[in-house]
Amino acid sequence: MNDALIFDAVRTPRGKGKKSGSLHEIKPIHLLETVMNAIQSRNDLDTKNVNDLFIGCVTPVWDQGANIAKAALLYSGWDQSVSGMQINRFCASGLEAVNLAAMKIRAGWGNLVVAGGVESMSRVPMGSDGGPLLFDPSVVMKTGHIPQGVSADLLASIEGFTREELDQYALLSQQRASHARDQGYFKPSIIPVYDENGLLILKEDEFIRPNTTLEGLAALSPSFEEIGKMGYDAVGHSKYPFLDHVRHIHTAGNSSGMVDGASLMLLGNKEKGEKLGLTPRARILSAVTVSVEPTIMLTGPGPASLKALEYAKMKKSDIDLWEMNEAFAAPVLKFQRDLHIDIDKLNVNGGAIAMGHPLGATGTILLGTLLDELERRDLSTGLVTLCIGGGMGIATIIERI
Amino acid sequence: MIRYKKDTDNIVTLTLDMSDRKVNIMNHEISQAFIPVLQHLKEEKAKGQLRGIILTSDKKTFLAGGDLDYLYKSDSAEEIFNYSQQMKAFFRDLERPGVPVVAAINGTALGSGFELPFACHYRIAIDDNDIKLGFPEVTLGLMPGSGGIIRLLWLLGIEKAYNVISSGKKYTPQEALAEGLIHEIALHKDDMMQRAKNWLMTHPEGRQKWDIEGCSIPNGTPNNPQTAKNIAALTARHIKKYRYNYPAPNAILNTLVEGAKMDFDTACRIESRNFTKLVLSTESKNMTKVFWYELNSIRQDKSRPKGYGKFRPRKVGIIGSGQMGSGIAFACAKNGIDVVLKDVSKSVAEQGINLAKEKFKQLLDQNKTTPENVKTALSKIVATEDSSEFETCDLVIEAVFENQQIKGKVTRDAGKHMDEYSFFASTTAMLSIDDLSQYFPKPENYIGLRFFVPIEDAPLVEVVKGPKTSDESVARAFDFVKKIKKTPIIVKDNPGFYAARVQNVYLLEGIVMLQEGYSPAIIENACMMAGMPIGPLSKADNISLKVVLNAERRAAEIYGKKYIIHPATEVLQMMEKEERTGRFNGAGFYNYTDGKITGFWEGLYEHYPVCRTDYNIDHLKERILFAQVLEAVWCYQEGIVFSVEEANIGSVYGWGFPSFKGGVLQFVNDYGIDQFIEKAKELEEEHGPRFIVPKLLRKMALESKIF
Repeated sequence: MNDALIFDAVRTPRGKGKKSGSLHEIKPIHLLETVMNAIQSRNDLDTKNVNDLFIGCVTPVWDQGANIAKAALLYSGWDQSVSGMQINRFCASGLEAVNLAAMKIRAGWGNLVVAGGVESMSRVPMGSDGGPLLFDPSVVMKTGHIPQGVSADLLASIEGFTREELDQYALLSQQRASHARDQGYFKPSIIPVYDENGLLILKEDEFIRPNTTLEGLAALSPSFEEIGKMGYDAVGHSKYPFLDHVRHIHTAGNSSGMVDGASLMLLGNKEKGEKLGLTPRARILSAVTVSVEPTIMLTGPGPASLKALEYAKMKKSDIDLWEMNEAFAAPVLKFQRDLHIDIDKLNVNGGAIAMGHPLGATGTILLGTLLDELERRDLSTGLVTLCIGGGMGIATIIERI
Repeated sequence: MIRYKKDTDNIVTLTLDMSDRKVNIMNHEISQAFIPVLQHLKEEKAKGQLRGIILTSDKKTFLAGGDLDYLYKSDSAEEIFNYSQQMKAFFRDLERPGVPVVAAINGTALGSGFELPFACHYRIAIDDNDIKLGFPEVTLGLMPGSGGIIRLLWLLGIEKAYNVISSGKKYTPQEALAEGLIHEIALHKDDMMQRAKNWLMTHPEGRQKWDIEGCSIPNGTPNNPQTAKNIAALTARHIKKYRYNYPAPNAILNTLVEGAKMDFDTACRIESRNFTKLVLSTESKNMTKVFWYELNSIRQDKSRPKGYGKFRPRKVGIIGSGQMGSGIAFACAKNGIDVVLKDVSKSVAEQGINLAKEKFKQLLDQNKTTPENVKTALSKIVATEDSSEFETCDLVIEAVFENQQIKGKVTRDAGKHMDEYSFFASTTAMLSIDDLSQYFPKPENYIGLRFFVPIEDAPLVEVVKGPKTSDESVARAFDFVKKIKKTPIIVKDNPGFYAARVQNVYLLEGIVMLQEGYSPAIIENACMMAGMPIGPLSKADNISLKVVLNAERRAAEIYGKKYIIHPATEVLQMMEKEERTGRFNGAGFYNYTDGKITGFWEGLYEHYPVCRTDYNIDHLKERILFAQVLEAVWCYQEGIVFSVEEANIGSVYGWGFPSFKGGVLQFVNDYGIDQFIEKAKELEEEHGPRFIVPKLLRKMALESKIF
């Protein structure tokens, strides 16, 4: 079988996902162009060698609509022979893009594939694409799908996490992220964003709050109490009637931030890599998805990780570093507790709570960040997992070469 | 059926008058009758001999609503769908040709009777608070089906239309004007006809918004992100309110949201499909049975003793000015009855008037009355400390503390001043009417009136007939209850009477689940999911655990050996020992701070460690309903409640038995009597003799009868 190898991984810095964010003025296609140019120049790549481009994007309308992948290929001047496809597996879209690329390569039906993701949350707010899961009453009544923040609070209530535990974890994420940024750990893969005149727009993640304190976090008000009490808690009760009430303890401080950003990864097989003079950095050992009860929604990472380990014929102890997307603090704590993961091996450079979660781009970012850290520490194996809307979960295991 | 009159200005007045009926209703017949009329009008228009149409009625009502008898009996989807489509076609024929049509709403227009005016281009109603306009279908588990939902959608937008239709609210013309449901108010009928004519003289074309290119639905369609968000919020509130149990509001919301994405005629077809599904649903059949047929039979005095003239209470005496006494005073004064409110001193009685004032203030704040009405009503209540004021009362009601001596004393005292034609009522919930009647000179004129709290909202009153109470007193009490706009059911003098007795069983069955190791949250949630308005632990706390326990103790005394001890009494005894007797005590199954729930009492988990994690929520839901149904069947068998109608209405109005089940006895019909008995036997095996099937049910099953 052909191993699916990772040759390179890049990302833009993450800009605050609002009008005052640095990347708000930048079109999503320009964010993609930035990382595509970087992949091309860093690898001295003749783009006609690329078979396909997969781009994860969760809200594919307006500036991100109508297959942004192919649009970006044409806009970035890549060879017209390269095909492109936008995919949506919600929060895991960026990782799913990589996994699909890996599958194509392992199947032997491709030898060089580019995969990544993009999301300008400031320009195309979550939910702008509508959809029955969230907006059709008859579907909502039948499926019990609720906003993720309420799911996170439901999960925290069922698992008995306290506000202090969530805030403590959020603080850790902030400390780790600002330490990593200050030490330059992210530098090798971050591609600054410039305007068309070559003027710098943003060179580092701007969402991190290095001065975060526990007191500051404790002072924040719950983000999902209002919509929960309005009615979504009742959906939770009908699924989990043993619960006396939903404690709304997730805040803007212990949930992931909304940001803008893009990410990209170059993958291929050994033969093609050798031919183009590319150095393989890691191989993908397994890539899986699962799905769980949709109202609680955020508990997919545990079963996904176990399934990925099974496919890779590995044990938990074989994994050197873990990345679980910090969509909210509670799902991370549940994941860590259920799988008995050493907190010193999990999200070691912080995560989306500190740096933000540019939906479609996040999966690829996490995998790239993990690979950078494995190299920096000279460790071998890593697992990336994300919780996903609708109750899904995803996991990918890599091994350095 | 439709009278045609044309004036010199070429304005045609069509007057609805279904000669064989007391009121006009919307049905096949009337829509068929319109076909030739509309055809003729088209021809007139073509000839240039028609300026416009005024649609009105000759009856007291404009149009009373749809043909419920037809819908209730129908069981063919194809037939109902076609019916709905035919009505729509008729409405389209009226509004589409371009001839301006004015609805001159001279009287009440409800349901499809109010849909017709929306197929007109202009709506005028007479300013009369007795005229009711609205869409009450939802209260019968139904929805408008002649295009009314889609027309309201186009006029008001999704959210406002949802509120109007899903609330089932009936509006006065003034309220309807404020809500945007009608265009204009007239002083009286002539004024209305003149205004209708004026409008026609200045509007040569009649076009509905949905037939004009470029017009859109107010506040956006679901494809607008902000509207989509509002819909999501609306859905959340909706789920919380209805807990998945009521298909009618679901169908209304879905029709509005789906209809907003479509052109008018496609949207109407979606409405017909949803309407068809609802008409055929068990829930709508159940709700129509209880809230239409059974409630009407009570309103039409089916259960009232026959042969006694109508009692018209003019002046009522009330003893005791607490929550109960002042609440009754409020209800009387609001409905035009003079009240003498007596207490130990005039100043104490005046405090009762203040309580009534507060209630009126709430009505004012909610815009449900006018300052003049309040002034008139309040002037009807007089405070006193003197029983001689009762001399001119037709009825005296005591609402003093639940103590036989105290009640006896006030009864005796009042009795001295009352003549032989007036009668006396006790509001007791716990004492025997027979025992209390001894204190009144004429025990046959002594009766029980069991009110429920809060009096201003609770729709039910139990008229308690003691063994000595005369039929005439029952008839008069019945009329009194109707006069204060509540629904009377007649019950026998027996501990707990009917509603409280069955409700107690609900509470006990919930409470005993604690002992079995179910978490309190599961118990409360399962009951809410089953359709009960409030969980049993919370309800028991509200009415006091002492009251719940004492009711059992009394039943044990009275029934002797036949009494089956409910195992929940052990839990209640424990709570009594722990001095946690409910909300008033500040501590019960729940913890309270300033009267507000802060969570379950932690001690519950120590006394009854949660060990049932293997529960099946559907079993719990069924069990809690079965316990109530069986007790109600016992009541019916024992003659505590006299008719199926009263048992069903009493259950829904009295303790909140789910209305989508059609009430407590209809539950058996719905479940299937054989299957019900089968299931009860299973419950008996598992939980003991309190689930024994009453003889009456077994007999009915043998004879293939239903309630």
